Amino acid sequence: MMSMIHSRSPWRRWSSVCRLPRHALVALLVAVSAQSAAAQHLLLPMDDAQRNHLKAYGVTYSAIKGGQKAEWFLNYRGGAFLLPDVPDLRKRAALDGVSVEAMTDADVAAARAEIAGGNMDAVVLERAPRIAIYRPVDQPPWDDAVTLALTYAGIDFTSVWDDDVMKGDLSKYDWVHLHHEDFTGQYNKLYLAYRDAPWFVSQRERDLATGRRFGKNDIPGLKKAVADNIRGFVDRGGFLFAMCGATESLDLAIASLMVDIAGPFSDGTPPAADADAKLDWTRTLAFVGAHIEPSPYVNALSDIDGHQVNVPSRRQPLGTFTLFGFSAKLDPVATMLVQDHRTVITDFYGVTTSFNRAVVKPGVTVLAQEEGAPWTKYLHGDYGKGSWTFLGGHDPEDPQHAIGSPPTDLSLHPNSPGYRLILNNVLFPAAKKKPRKT
Amino acid sequence: MSARRNESARRRDIVLGAWVVLVLTVCATPLSAQSGGTATTTFSAADTTDALSRAMDAEDKGEFQRAGAAYREVLQKALSVTQPDGDRIALAILGFERVMSEQGQPDSIVPLAERVLQFRPTDPTARTVLLRTLTAMARDDDARAAFLGWRRASPGDAAPYREYARLLLQRGRSLAADSVLGDAARLLGRNAALSGETAQLNVSLGRWEAGARSYREALTDQPWLETAGVYGLQRTPVAARDSVRAVLVADPVSLRPRRLLASLESAWGEPRRAWAALSVLPLDDSTLAAWRAFGERAEQASSWLVARDAWSAIFARNAGSLEAQRRAADAALRAGDAGGALTLVRAPSTAEERARTQALLGLEIAALGELGRMADAQSLLDREGKALDVRTRAAIARPLVMGWLRAGDLARARTAMAGTDLEEDDEMVGWIALYDGDLATARKRLVRAASQRTELIDALGLLARIRLDRSPALGAAFLAIARRDSANATTMLVMLADSVGQAAPAVLAHAARLMPPKDAPQLWDRIVREYPKSPEAPESLLAWARVLRDTGDRAGAITRLEQMLVEYTNSALAPQGRRELERLKGQVPPAGSAGSAGSAGGVLAPVSRFP
Repeated sequence: MMSMIHSRSPWRRWSSVCRLPRHALVALLVAVSAQSAAAQHLLLPMDDAQRNHLKAYGVTYSAIKGGQKAEWFLNYRGGAFLLPDVPDLRKRAALDGVSVEAMTDADVAAARAEIAGGNMDAVVLERAPRIAIYRPVDQPPWDDAVTLALTYAGIDFTSVWDDDVMKGDLSKYDWVHLHHEDFTGQYNKLYLAYRDAPWFVSQRERDLATGRRFGKNDIPGLKKAVADNIRGFVDRGGFLFAMCGATESLDLAIASLMVDIAGPFSDGTPPAADADAKLDWTRTLAFVGAHIEPSPYVNALSDIDGHQVNVPSRRQPLGTFTLFGFSAKLDPVATMLVQDHRTVITDFYGVTTSFNRAVVKPGVTVLAQEEGAPWTKYLHGDYGKGSWTFLGGHDPEDPQHAIGSPPTDLSLHPNSPGYRLILNNVLFPAAKKKPRKT
Repeated sequence: MSARRNESARRRDIVLGAWVVLVLTVCATPLSAQSGGTATTTFSAADTTDALSRAMDAEDKGEFQRAGAAYREVLQKALSVTQPDGDRIALAILGFERVMSEQGQPDSIVPLAERVLQFRPTDPTARTVLLRTLTAMARDDDARAAFLGWRRASPGDAAPYREYARLLLQRGRSLAADSVLGDAARLLGRNAALSGETAQLNVSLGRWEAGARSYREALTDQPWLETAGVYGLQRTPVAARDSVRAVLVADPVSLRPRRLLASLESAWGEPRRAWAALSVLPLDDSTLAAWRAFGERAEQASSWLVARDAWSAIFARNAGSLEAQRRAADAALRAGDAGGALTLVRAPSTAEERARTQALLGLEIAALGELGRMADAQSLLDREGKALDVRTRAAIARPLVMGWLRAGDLARARTAMAGTDLEEDDEMVGWIALYDGDLATARKRLVRAASQRTELIDALGLLARIRLDRSPALGAAFLAIARRDSANATTMLVMLADSVGQAAPAVLAHAARLMPPKDAPQLWDRIVREYPKSPEAPESLLAWARVLRDTGDRAGAITRLEQMLVEYTNSALAPQGRRELERLKGQVPPAGSAGSAGSAGGVLAPVSRFP
């Protein structure tokens, strides 16, 4: 309707001023109408028509970062994005090999009608979240899946590490990612296997030096303080996305602020005899009632992880996990987090691969699980004024990832359904209509 | 499963063979020895022949349960005598291990192995089977105890250390293996017996220099480890390679470490260094064999310069080796060293003259042709060619014709072809037609050519785009290319471009490929500006970007790639361009980037309670 009103106005002005012959005016009208009917929107389909799903998130992020209006059509064509048809975005899509479909207003209206009639919804993406990844600054970008995904998709982020967290710099960001840090300060119990490895030695020396700067005598002390700062960030309205071992160890660190659960190799003293009983689960994000693994010789921190990949006698085989479907209109947050062109995804190991259902707090939303297994894969919940998402596993395209494995080249996996879950989490904070961050 | 069965059957056949020999030996033993009235009970083959045959037969048929029972029976009988036969016990326990593993019942192996050890505490087969089974079942404490038990039973023996270290290495427990080998060095005081395991351990821990040292030591008496050394050490990072080199070239110079280094250098893309490692070896038969093997590998890898050097070295030590002389000259010619090839074919040789002519005349003519000395080549052929058989003469005609073409003398080239098979050769006739400007004939004959050489493919691509049937200018340009006169060829092609209509961008792109990379951008720019809709336009942008990237102009390269991807979204070259762009922007790992060693979060090989 708007385009029709606009098209009448030049018609009158031109016909009176230019006094053109009648047939010329008709031709002009046709031309102007055609102009108004030309594409005004770009749809980034996210079903199998999309050539590069991962970079489509980057194109959308660049649109909202550039002040353009973007919409996320939940459950419509695999969770498609609607962007304005402007040259910059067309160029970016062409460079990235992202499939786009030009849409007129009429096409968009038809799509909206379809969305209104089904389990679908349109969510406006308002502003690009300020993203921080908790990782050493000198670490190559190929070491964790989120850094890989953001780098590949061309989404800006800042690296933050212990110094920044301890100084309170997290308040500068809307979104923080953790990957496989062991916040209990035990280096995932790799001491026995890697104590002589140069990278392990330098990592330990670096952390001890940082701890001394903040008055912490040992690494567990430093890492627990960092974990508590991260908890505070979420409590004050931030969004936290954690994967791999960071999920489990963050909650264990928060629960054990007042009790020693670390082995003697990390702080010089054995764990407290009754450590389990002294854990305080009231402040944790996702888990409750888990039991720590006190042996320094067993490569597991607790019984939170269902797969225990580094303990041969307990290791469970990989299966597939299924994403839950949610009501897009009633539960848009969960729906956003599971947008994908596949609902069944091959599982992948990590220091923490999955989360035993028995230790998941009531009220936490389970986003994905393995059928018939006692564990879940993908969790979401609110905490204070903020929210968090935990995804088990290390790298969706490297299921058996081992230390020293070559980095994943995402240009070989542009349609990775597992990596889409990560990128859903990146755009999810942009969809909040009223950011709750303080 | 079937592979395992095949392997199982293969092992069974070996064992059966050994068994037959054993039975024959026993049967050949004088009866008196068996019935000599001694009070000692001795083992009788007849006691277990049936059981062992039944066991093997059942195993062969995949009836593992029955086979297991039979193997157990063999063992029980064998152990019930006062002088058990170790060989038979070994056959039975290994068979039992195989069938129980097939059935997924490795825990059944343990008590049987332990029972054997009650009677024969130092039996190496039973010890190994027990250790292997416990390790496979991840019963790490029990495996450790079994190792210690073996060590106590066989003090001074390196076998327990070797077997246990190997098993630990297989399970990725490098540090545990390190402790075991360290114990061996302390307690036995002789590391050499375990140097192979030590070498593997060092490599698995990324101790490259120590790994090289261990392999060097191990190769002294375990030459079969050379291949393992190549596989292990070729993963050495670039920064650590010099330390590996230093270990392997250190005095005294000996064949095996040098051969290992040559293989490593070849794997690292350093053929010149590879030959340098071998070339200083003292001369003997083994060295000549190593040089010959190296020369053959260099030929396969098209490393013609080092192939030339290797075969030249062999020829220099053996002047009668016509094969070495021929292969050295051929490699020199293929490497573009026509002068060197000529020197080699004319080098004095002890070979018989006729055989020498037969083997080397073609190469000498080709070398003279490459050097532009066609008159010399023709007179040589006139002088020596009469002695050659028809087949050899035909083989020599091709280099002669190519030589005349290179000299730009089409008439002499035709004369050289006369009366030979080349008159029927589609490729040769096609080229001559092309040089003549007869594009119609060239198109028809070249398309039938058997060869897939790059220059042929390029010529066919251009002929397909140019609709003319005759173009002496294009013929002259291709003749200039044949004469290796790329500067003239480029000029001719650029001048020709204006007169070939829609084929102009193809002609210009061909010219650009002949130019030095620093000069080609002017032609690529012209193609993109004047012929933006041609398929050569995205190709030009991609080639241009690559040249800019190689000269360090990252920003310029990114601009060209972005232009290509935006303006030619559907080009078949877009995926290549996008990949180059992602690499330049650092969005994907650089080629050959290292793994995430600096991460404390990867999934790891199991770490257990030991050590």
